[in-house]
Amino acid sequence: MFYILYFLFLSALLLSGAEAKVGQPAPDFTLTNIDGKQITLHNFTGKWVVLEWINYDCPFVRKHYSAGNMQNLQKTYTEKGVVWLSINSSSPGKQGHFTAAEIHARMSSHKAYNSDYLLDPEGTVGKAFGAKTTPHIFIIDPQGKLIYTGGIDSIRSADPDDIPKATNYVREVLEAVLAGRPSPFSSTESYGCSVKYK
Amino acid sequence: MTRYPFVQWIKPYIFFLFFLPLSGIAQFGQTSQVSLQLVSETTTLQPGQTHWLALHMRIGGGWHTYWRNPGDTGLETSIDWQLPAGISAGEMRWPVPEVIAEPPLYTFGYHGSLYYLIPLTVAENYQGADKISIKAEVNWLECKEVCLPGSQVIELGLTVSAQQAQADAQWQETFAAARSMLPLEESEWQISARYNGDRLQIEALPPEWFSSELTGLQFYPYQTMLVKYADQQTLSRSGKSYLLSVTLDANRTETPSRIEGVLVAEPGWRGEGSEKGLQINIPLTQGQIRQGTANGPASIWLALLFSFLGGIILNLMPCVLPVLSIKILGFVQQAHEEKTKAWHHGALFTGGVLASFWILAGTLLILRAGGEQLGWGFQLQSPLFLIFLSVFMLLFGLSMFGVFEIGTSLTTVANKTQGASGLFGSFISGVTATVVATPCTAPFMGSALGFALTQPAWISMTIFTFLGLGMAAPYVLLSSIPALLKFVPRPGRWMESLKQFMGFLLVATVIWLLWVLGLQAGSNVVIFIMLILLLVSVGGWIYGRWGHLAMPPKTRVIATIIAAVFILAPTVYGLTNWKTFAADVNLGGVTKAEGMAWENFDEEKIQAARAAGRAVFVDFTAAWCLSCQVNEKVAFGNAEVQQAFHDKNILPLKADWTSRDEKITRALAAFGRNSVPLYVYYPAKTGSEPVILPEIISPGIVLEALK
Repeated sequence: MFYILYFLFLSALLLSGAEAKVGQPAPDFTLTNIDGKQITLHNFTGKWVVLEWINYDCPFVRKHYSAGNMQNLQKTYTEKGVVWLSINSSSPGKQGHFTAAEIHARMSSHKAYNSDYLLDPEGTVGKAFGAKTTPHIFIIDPQGKLIYTGGIDSIRSADPDDIPKATNYVREVLEAVLAGRPSPFSSTESYGCSVKYK
Repeated sequence: MTRYPFVQWIKPYIFFLFFLPLSGIAQFGQTSQVSLQLVSETTTLQPGQTHWLALHMRIGGGWHTYWRNPGDTGLETSIDWQLPAGISAGEMRWPVPEVIAEPPLYTFGYHGSLYYLIPLTVAENYQGADKISIKAEVNWLECKEVCLPGSQVIELGLTVSAQQAQADAQWQETFAAARSMLPLEESEWQISARYNGDRLQIEALPPEWFSSELTGLQFYPYQTMLVKYADQQTLSRSGKSYLLSVTLDANRTETPSRIEGVLVAEPGWRGEGSEKGLQINIPLTQGQIRQGTANGPASIWLALLFSFLGGIILNLMPCVLPVLSIKILGFVQQAHEEKTKAWHHGALFTGGVLASFWILAGTLLILRAGGEQLGWGFQLQSPLFLIFLSVFMLLFGLSMFGVFEIGTSLTTVANKTQGASGLFGSFISGVTATVVATPCTAPFMGSALGFALTQPAWISMTIFTFLGLGMAAPYVLLSSIPALLKFVPRPGRWMESLKQFMGFLLVATVIWLLWVLGLQAGSNVVIFIMLILLLVSVGGWIYGRWGHLAMPPKTRVIATIIAAVFILAPTVYGLTNWKTFAADVNLGGVTKAEGMAWENFDEEKIQAARAAGRAVFVDFTAAWCLSCQVNEKVAFGNAEVQQAFHDKNILPLKADWTSRDEKITRALAAFGRNSVPLYVYYPAKTGSEPVILPEIISPGIVLEALK
């Protein structure tokens, strides 16, 4: 029964062409992680979920990984029970699309603390959420509702020196909602490279 | 938009070849394709004045950088200035961007070569050094599939001087080109906006004098997170207004009380060839979204219908009717002699018509894409073509009168229905019909075809195709339904009378062609060509009198040779020597086109006129200044403005700064300017101060100033 509803929901989503909207249920999805395991969003019901669109070769993603900013966020909040999913929507042959071995190597060299790294080579999940840039952050509440979409922080640049000066939206939102306060931001401007859809 | 699109396009690549090692910074194993240059419009800076700098960005290899609102992704270019005390930089002016579509992502940006303009102000009480150095740290993001952030510090040495700042001659064209790419900052269009839910509607009401049809309207917002870029913006009409429907971003955090951005449309906000961008900053209120009538497809269908009907009507034009009457006579004969394969002729005739229309329209589109300012009927701007066509038309007319017959008989050319030569004849008569029809289309359908040429290439080609189909339609109908030919009268003496009558129409066409020639090259050339036409007619008469089949072969050969000499020699002589007789008439130049008797600028003329109590208007202009040309066309081409000049007995002076001219440069400096356009009105009242008009003028602005 659930799958029928799920199918109807997805069809409606495709037909309407609507992107995920803050305040509405986030589109559910099932994607394969780098070890070939199926990961489904609704299985995380009851937990806060962060989706991070990623492309390791994008200068803006590098900005946050080379400075350790992204890993710090991942470490801080996964330790507090938040699920952090990095999603790669680069289509095969385009920038940021890697073999599983390469991703393992990169993740360990970066000391990544994400819960999982998911592959979306067809770009369907990226498009369902309206992911435009790398990085692009989406935060989903324990009921499966989208509460935040946008950038990681407030200074739109590729310069790591700007990180300490910027307002970190992910931290601000998560600190607030984990403490039971309302989210101070619902949507901000994401910045970065375009997602390399096919 | 640019005067030399090809040069604009090729420049960055030339630069790229030679200067690659110098450009930008290298990151992530890739090299920046961007190179920068900072130039000043004036040779010195003057305290208390604002001067302009241009940042020239060249982007090679098909990469792009971003506009002030980059769109779905990307990052806008920014400049950090390091300026000495007392010098400040104002807001950077951005050229109108292009939409870079990588579905589902849409961004605004630039390819190739572009200029940013920056106002630089020197304080009135400037105390610093004379020789200064200004530094600009430019940061940008360049992308092509992948992205590369770039940064470069550029320096420019400048001199501050109390003297009147002078324009730096080497950058005048650069600044003129740069300004022509900026959006219009003010206009007489009335723009309003309202929204309901996630729908935004922008309404644009054109000023009375705007006569073009706006197409491809798009809104590029300055505000980020306001509009959903991926959704198509749709244009419709409501009365005189244009309605643009835009989807707002569902994730926007607020709906602003004003919208800011650029409206982009063809053919330009002040008519053809003018600025494609119009900057807006208008209130946004909640309101009812109005329903307009569909623009786009519906009006294209209408245009196609009209061009088809226009094509049918073309058959009645004096240029075409004789050619086609021959065709009809051919059908008449055919109807009574032979019943088969008539439709083959109809199809080939249509093919001939269409092929000629495609070649003419295609040539025109290609030339225009190359930056030529041409309109439909452009071949008529060439005296050579006019001379050739009048000789051709006259000979054709003479043969209709029966002075001579080509081959055995013109009608029997159409008569030879058997075999390939007859079919080829049908194709050729289609080509001939079109070639002689174009002089008639120019005055008859000029504005409609002008509209067609402002459309995307495939639409204009479709419109021309329908025009050709319309022109061929009566013959296709006659030839494909032989039963219809039963209603055509039997051949007889009436055909001869009709043919002779058509001859007069051809002579009328010759007169019209000579009139056009007279406008272009003066009346002496007309007399000269008429003498040539006389010799050509004698040639025709000799051929008709002694060259026909009833004469002995020897006489026929000699007659043919003499006739050929009489026809060809004067024609060739006329084509090569017409210039000797040509008067110095301004070929389609501004002076005549505006219908105003401009006199050349002279300071003494101003003094003399003012002393005599006469008002003076000075137009400082240059051929390379695009906005000058548009201003002149829009404002001085207006009948009311011309009337006002006439009524008030204003002396119109034109200061043409196309080439360097010290007098004009000095006159400009006297008004604190070093660029064109500049419009100055000296009222008739003695001792009154001259009025300076804005740089962008419309009939309304000029009329207001003249009051």
